[in-house]
Amino acid sequence: MQVGQAPMGDARQAGSVDQLPGQISQRIRREAQVAGVRDHAPSIEAVERRRMQLWLLTLVVVALLGTATIVASLGVAEDTWILGNPWVLRAAVALLGVGFAVYALEKEVHLHRLSRLLVDERVLSAAMAKRIEVQEALAAAGKALNSVLELDEVLDVILARAVQLFGAVSGSVMLLEDEHLRVVAVRGSPLGRDATVPLGTSVAGRVAQTRQAVLLDGPVEVGVPGPEPEASGGDPSGPASSSTMCVPLVNRGRVLGVLVVSAAGGKRFDDYDLGVLELFAEPVAAAIAKAGLYEAERAHVARLLEADRFRSQLVASVSHELRTPITSIRGAVAAARRDRDPERLAELLGVIDRQANRLQTMVEEILDSARIDQHSPTRPRHIDVAALVRLVALDAEVAGRPVRVHAPERCEAAVDPEAMRRILGNLIDNAHKYGTPPVEVTLTPTDGELALTVRDHGPGVPPHLRQRIFERFYREDPNGTRPGIGLGLAIVRGLAEAMGGRVWVDDAPGGGARFGVVLNVPVTTGPREVVHVH
Amino acid sequence: MSTRPRVLIVDDEPDVLLTLRMILEAEGFDTALAADGETALRRIDDEQPDVVLLDLMMPVLDGWYVLAELAGRTRRPRVVVCSAKTATADQQRARDLGADEYLTKPFDPDRLVTVICGVLARGRSRV
Repeated sequence: MQVGQAPMGDARQAGSVDQLPGQISQRIRREAQVAGVRDHAPSIEAVERRRMQLWLLTLVVVALLGTATIVASLGVAEDTWILGNPWVLRAAVALLGVGFAVYALEKEVHLHRLSRLLVDERVLSAAMAKRIEVQEALAAAGKALNSVLELDEVLDVILARAVQLFGAVSGSVMLLEDEHLRVVAVRGSPLGRDATVPLGTSVAGRVAQTRQAVLLDGPVEVGVPGPEPEASGGDPSGPASSSTMCVPLVNRGRVLGVLVVSAAGGKRFDDYDLGVLELFAEPVAAAIAKAGLYEAERAHVARLLEADRFRSQLVASVSHELRTPITSIRGAVAAARRDRDPERLAELLGVIDRQANRLQTMVEEILDSARIDQHSPTRPRHIDVAALVRLVALDAEVAGRPVRVHAPERCEAAVDPEAMRRILGNLIDNAHKYGTPPVEVTLTPTDGELALTVRDHGPGVPPHLRQRIFERFYREDPNGTRPGIGLGLAIVRGLAEAMGGRVWVDDAPGGGARFGVVLNVPVTTGPREVVHVH
Repeated sequence: MSTRPRVLIVDDEPDVLLTLRMILEAEGFDTALAADGETALRRIDDEQPDVVLLDLMMPVLDGWYVLAELAGRTRRPRVVVCSAKTATADQQRARDLGADEYLTKPFDPDRLVTVICGVLARGRSRV
């Protein structure tokens, strides 16, 4: 196995070749001119042709000069008027020979330079083509990344582009969470989504920790198995990978995760590929960071919108409901000032008490709802839920809302007692307000779950309203023959969910509505424990 | 027959009916009660009150219906709307339908008495 650090220079130095083709073309044209290559676009073949011509010419010249030398030595031309003197002929031949040699040498030098330049140009063209291809792929990836904001989509685009760019067979993106990497996107890899890789304990983990990209050849295991290979992420490269690259995703100096790309079928990545993958990782990390910011921002805006909606609904829904009891209270006080008859006074005090209670309930509901909105934590305590249910039922009965309780004698679980009290109280109120007595409360402990149901014998809740009735400010009759602001069931849901539970409503067997709350808590049941005091 | 002015109190809230009745009786009015629009129209026909204190949001037939019904009549009582609806548009609509006064809940009971006396002073009923 060969492990190589990525020479970032390899890919980045390619940036300087941007200026080279122009210079090289100029030099090629100049050299071609000097070397006598007349082609419009000089090629290595043209250089070879020119070189061949030069050799032929050299042969011809050598032959001519040789002939001339022989002729001179034989004295054949002694009588000719031009070359009467054999020394003159010899000197002329020597001069021509030297002159031609200089000419041929110079051409050869230029041809040599030209052929080297042409080879350079070919190499550069190939490199440029590769670089343009990579840049286009990077630009396309960048564009694709910029056009999506959802993290899942961003991750899919990243993997699709990375696999395409490097001719890889598989890839994965792992994001850093606390002390481990979590696989958040997989393509063509046996690696399971959501698998975790501890930091520093595997190749991917080490890359995230050291921020150094690595290139691994051969069938390697990138996610070095811990004691349990499945749990530690297994092998992100897949069993048949022939070459794997793993680069850190760093944005603004912060490691966000790692990107793994693997090839198969004998294909090997090289340092150049690793450099390009590192270049690719930069916009990828930025896109992931942006998607994260976008999601946070979107969640923030959603919260603001929800808060805004809550406020406007609160004003609309509450204003009538708050004004009515105050009208009664002020009326009762004004009436009491006018009529001091003790019986009437008692009646008016009753009005004030009733309406003040009504106001208090509304204020508590609004505050509870706002608290649920702020995601206040619940405070679970180990209590006897059966006892609490019986207590709430008793309170309801005293308030004129009788309830039948079916519960084990003892049923201990860790729940928030105040939240449980509100949940049950609201469900009983709701049953009396919208249903028909008798109202029955059933507490059913099962394996790891605690179910609380409240049923009435009224008309029930039609299926199309079974979700809506748990929404805040939803009221069956908004013109309000029944007092309330539509928060009771929303509070039940909010509190149940805050305790990790859920709510539902269906038809009770034999008619009526049945509201249920299920909490996932371990339950201990049995007869009541009696403490003997001696 | 009593010469005390007759006031019909229309509201779906029993405690409002109860307290307004006690106040108005102490102030020397005869009162009748209705908890919905339908009863209100019947009692207007039967008892011909001088003033109707009319809530708007009520079951069965609401206050708007009562106003619209009265608007078509040649002889009708004075109407003081007492509503938790505070929007100017609601107040204008009520006046367009013939309401003489509009009080938003919660109101000062003393002011209610003044307003009732005010509309009575304009004439017990309109023709």
